[in-house]
Amino acid sequence: MRRLRAKLGLALLVGAYAGALYWVLTRSEPVIHRREVTIYFAHWQIERGPPDGINAAIKRYEELNPRVHVVQLQIPGATIYPQWMRSNLAGETGPDLMEWGAWLPGQKDIPARYFAPLTAELAKPNPYNRGTSQEKIPWQDTFHDKLLAPKRDSPDPGQIYAVNITESTLRLFCNVELMKEILGRVVVPKNFDDLRKIFAQVQDYSRRTGRTIHGLAGSRDTTRSVAQSVILAPLLGVNQRLDDGGTLYLYNRQVLAAYLAGRWRYSEPAVRAGLQLVRETTNAMKPGFIQLRRDDAMIEFLRGQALFFFYGTWDATSLRRLASFKIQPMKLMQAMPDDPEVGRYVVGQGGEGMGETSLSMYLNKTSRHPAEALDFLKFLTSVPGQQLFTDASLWLPAVNGAVVPEAIRNFRDYQEGISFGQAPYDMIGTEVGMNWDRNFYRLSGENGSAEKFAAALDAEMPAAVRQDLKAELRATLVLVKPQDPVIVGWAGLTGDKARIRREESEAAQTMSEGLALQMKLQLESAK
Amino acid sequence: MFAPYPEWRRGCGAWLCLTLLPFARAAAPVSDDTAAAWQLMADHLVRDAYVRLDQVKGPPSREQDFAQAVVAVDYQPVTQARLHEAEATFAALAAGHDELAEAAAYMQARLYQVHFQQLDYPRAAALYRALAERHPESHWAQLGLVKLGLLLLYALPEPSVPAERIGAATALLARIHEEKLQRDLHLQIARAGTFYDQPLDSVLAHLIEVNRIGGLVGQAPEDLAVELGELSLRAGHYAQARGYFEAYLRDFVPNLRSVTVRRRLEDLAALEAKAKGLRP
Repeated sequence: MRRLRAKLGLALLVGAYAGALYWVLTRSEPVIHRREVTIYFAHWQIERGPPDGINAAIKRYEELNPRVHVVQLQIPGATIYPQWMRSNLAGETGPDLMEWGAWLPGQKDIPARYFAPLTAELAKPNPYNRGTSQEKIPWQDTFHDKLLAPKRDSPDPGQIYAVNITESTLRLFCNVELMKEILGRVVVPKNFDDLRKIFAQVQDYSRRTGRTIHGLAGSRDTTRSVAQSVILAPLLGVNQRLDDGGTLYLYNRQVLAAYLAGRWRYSEPAVRAGLQLVRETTNAMKPGFIQLRRDDAMIEFLRGQALFFFYGTWDATSLRRLASFKIQPMKLMQAMPDDPEVGRYVVGQGGEGMGETSLSMYLNKTSRHPAEALDFLKFLTSVPGQQLFTDASLWLPAVNGAVVPEAIRNFRDYQEGISFGQAPYDMIGTEVGMNWDRNFYRLSGENGSAEKFAAALDAEMPAAVRQDLKAELRATLVLVKPQDPVIVGWAGLTGDKARIRREESEAAQTMSEGLALQMKLQLESAK
Repeated sequence: MFAPYPEWRRGCGAWLCLTLLPFARAAAPVSDDTAAAWQLMADHLVRDAYVRLDQVKGPPSREQDFAQAVVAVDYQPVTQARLHEAEATFAALAAGHDELAEAAAYMQARLYQVHFQQLDYPRAAALYRALAERHPESHWAQLGLVKLGLLLLYALPEPSVPAERIGAATALLARIHEEKLQRDLHLQIARAGTFYDQPLDSVLAHLIEVNRIGGLVGQAPEDLAVELGELSLRAGHYAQARGYFEAYLRDFVPNLRSVTVRRRLEDLAALEAKAKGLRP
């Protein structure tokens, strides 16, 4: 009995040892991680494409830098990311590198408080560009647009806080097979009237065959983008009229103030013509689209129930990977002066910009490994890093020298034309946008019309515009007040750098203050 | 006393060093901590600056008092009580005769211009004027004149007529000797000119001066370059407009406005031809 027990004990011991050995060799993590530095890279680009592109760059970077491990954090955007970002930054638990956008509501203070400027590094060549066409070129100048948006959105004029990873624009994605079925061939619309005719043919085809097919996949999100694109052409003349300063660019505050002063109305003919174009476009969507989101529109398109899907090139990779048919991206052409419906209000060809880089990444001031984080950023935005990113994501690269894959080459084929910036009259402010959405049913559908919509907007907008102009004023003052300690801070330091930074801060503060005083006066005088 | 006992002497020396070291360290950071606080403030880190200043032992210097009051201006959440405490500090420091007094006087005026819940523009203007009278060459007085210019342009009850507002602000330019600050006021006068729909030639004169002094950063240089071209065109100075538009296309990365500027150059050619009685 005792021998049996001894044997059983030995067998148990051997079994346990063998099990432990198997576990250690096949399953367990090393007790000490091989890489001594881990950096975290957080963004909200969870569409198909960018995570793969970033992973491809990380893989190569880790091969080149064996001591560094890079972790990609994909945080859903819109509602979750801003809160997640704010709480982590406040608690000093934020990742080393983070995406941020100037349009995120209520987040304007973030860069100044939590991110480190990259200006000095951007003035030096990117070491990962050695042996490429961008070798010896200052890092900043290797970007396609020399970092326009990070310069424009900087809380400190003269300082650059971010580098961009990609470039994007809006495109009309066409189901090629469905178009051949309906039109007999692929027709690329050369102006808005061509698109109008295509929509009519789709409607006719749907009626004849009894199949539910719409010209444009519908949703609230994509409607915003469509409206902002098509409304612009008849508004070019109005924009010119409102440009008192002669900057050939309108900021939202100028459009808001001009409305308060009674210098334009939704019911004036040119604006109504723009609304008419929005109505024509949204009438090509399925009923009830305003209750749907971007993903619903994408599903409608992928099921072959809509000929076109209109949105950003950031969705191109998702569409390509998910669609069972060939997709051709096309430009959404604006109405021209010869347009039969609204041509008399169009003063020229509207433009869609010259390609601005985006997906801005910032370095957290409290990063535990700022040198390594910055180094990874340099790799990701080098020619080899961007090549890996663009090849794996099919998103445009942000830097010169990276070869744009054939499949997305026409994303860079921008429509040249007149542009007055980003004031499409529906999104000039939060309240204005809400009023627009709330009344949109008056524009689209059988019972809707541009006249009804314009009349409803003009009845409700004065209060909304006032609220939004007040919000603009508050946002400007948010920039003005903290500059006083900054200016005094620089004045307390010695050296040329401190003097120059003080002068720049003083100039920027005075400019913002002047704008704030103008807005205050505009609000008071429009009482 | 310890001469017969060399090992005691060495021991006492070491003991003295160790004992005095904390005092030496405590004495040194006064200026170091204030300098660090200036740097933190310059980096938008006022909370950290506050913590840093709070750690300084011993009676605070005038510089520390000033730094602490400046920090309070943007220490979140900003309270009116804290701002009033800061004002009392600024007012006390402003009575002195050093650069700190000038900076404190400037900050006191800033409280009335932008920080207090109830702004008092006439009081801010009076403080700027007093500072400029007392220390006309001080940087803070010069900067105060720029801010006074803003108040004259938009906020003070008198003068109330736009042309007179612009005239009053323009008169300040002669008292500002720092070129960069002159530039800032020129720019504000020009912007007020378009805001109040003043004659374009008077606006252009200020913008041209801003361009001559240069040194603007951010989006401002690009806006300025286009403004110079467009307002010159509107004022009928076609050659001048062409020069500025061409400079814009040469000096700035192609962007949203480039095509609009090229289109304006085409309009310009047509206007020039018309002026010469030719067909475009």
